[in-house]
Amino acid sequence: MLASEARQVLSRVGSLVARNQLRSISNGTAQLDQQAQPKEAQEPQIKKFEIYRWNPDNAGEKPYMQTYELDLRECGPMVLDALIKIKNEMDPTLTFRRSCREGICGSCAMNIGGTNTLACISKIDINTSKSLKVYPLPHMYVVRDLVPDMNNFYEQYRNIQPWLQRKNEAGEKKGKAQYLQSVEDRSKLDGLYECILCACCSTSCPSYWWNAEKYLGPAVLMQAYRWIIDSRDENSAERLSKLKDPFSVYRCHTIMNCTRTCPKGLNPGRAIAEIKKLLSGLASKPAPKLETAALHK
Amino acid sequence: MSLSMVLRGAVRCNAANLVKSARITPLKSYSTLVANAQRRTLVQPLALAKIAAPVVRREISVSAPRMASAESSHTLLWTIERIVSAGLLAVIPAAFIAPSQVLDALLAISVVIHTHWGVEAMVVDYMRPSVVGNVLPKVAHIALIILSVATLGGLFYFIQNDVGLANGIKRFWAIKGKDAEKKA
Repeated sequence: MLASEARQVLSRVGSLVARNQLRSISNGTAQLDQQAQPKEAQEPQIKKFEIYRWNPDNAGEKPYMQTYELDLRECGPMVLDALIKIKNEMDPTLTFRRSCREGICGSCAMNIGGTNTLACISKIDINTSKSLKVYPLPHMYVVRDLVPDMNNFYEQYRNIQPWLQRKNEAGEKKGKAQYLQSVEDRSKLDGLYECILCACCSTSCPSYWWNAEKYLGPAVLMQAYRWIIDSRDENSAERLSKLKDPFSVYRCHTIMNCTRTCPKGLNPGRAIAEIKKLLSGLASKPAPKLETAALHK
Repeated sequence: MSLSMVLRGAVRCNAANLVKSARITPLKSYSTLVANAQRRTLVQPLALAKIAAPVVRREISVSAPRMASAESSHTLLWTIERIVSAGLLAVIPAAFIAPSQVLDALLAISVVIHTHWGVEAMVVDYMRPSVVGNVLPKVAHIALIILSVATLGGLFYFIQNDVGLANGIKRFWAIKGKDAEKKA
């Protein structure tokens, strides 16, 4: 009893101390800065943001670049922080998508400084001599400002049927037991399942720019491969046969912009190559290491 | 007649949307197309497009949508393309190390077909019906086929009636300017 009470008191004291330390650190650095460079610390660090603007409500108006000047000392480190600051304090008409602000939802995908990436995880270049240019994802229809029309992209994703498919669905007790998968088989999904469908890769692909209606694009193809190679999925042959036409997969010319731009560090180019190998018969899907439906018997 | 003309006009206006629908479901039957169009009212705002769909199937979809249909398989062609690409690594040095008519013919065929496929990909990518209309892509494709066949024919003629391809390139490479001859 006594020991536990003592521990509680100690932990409380500890947290108090930690809080005080934190406060002193944050105060201290500010004070230190003021002491060391009393004038420079006050000087604003003005960075220019050139942002693509287009509003469908203004009939006949062409897209234009609008420049905003922002003090980086009063702004968070990421491009999304700057966009939110502009929207909150300077121009409420600026339109963009954002949600999680930590690179897991994929909403704020846009073209920043010439690279497709997520605004929330790309740092603002602190070199204030250069302006930062922000465009919507390239070669997409723009709904407004930085918001692209993702309908075609999502429709293509729907088209590959991104869910587990079994041959004997009636005989298996769905939701009552797991499908078994060996560690080795599961590891094949690493590097595939992490995709957040931000469309950075697809919209960086020239083939997708030219044939977006018929070529599925790297993001969707990587998800197609994720389901083809899943040891629990039994519809691989059907999935592959849907991709064998000249456009769905074969418009990929291994340009590899997809892999280069992926903000999550994934490799869609490799997944497409694996699909091509499976289609041509140069490789085949290995049999599952564990009997997947063993627990359903 | 006039009705079909009107429908065709509407089709052209909605070409992008229709191409989309053609890609997402293979053009198998009218019923699937209509079901698809109804399901995707968001992408296809015009009701006319649904009625006009079969017209597209007959009249306009000669090149792109048919190529995108699920019935055609590109797999064998892709595999042959890879085999030829890999084969070039062996054929090119072999033809130069041991020049013969057979190897010259093999070199001519594989280089010309390899180049043909490469340029064909460029034609498909950059001569899109939605950008340049329906005529120009076909003209470009036919011109490419004529060019490739003519090139191959010319190379065969050269192999048959002259020193051969590898030897010809070797001689061409050995040509020296007047200054080089003076030095030698």
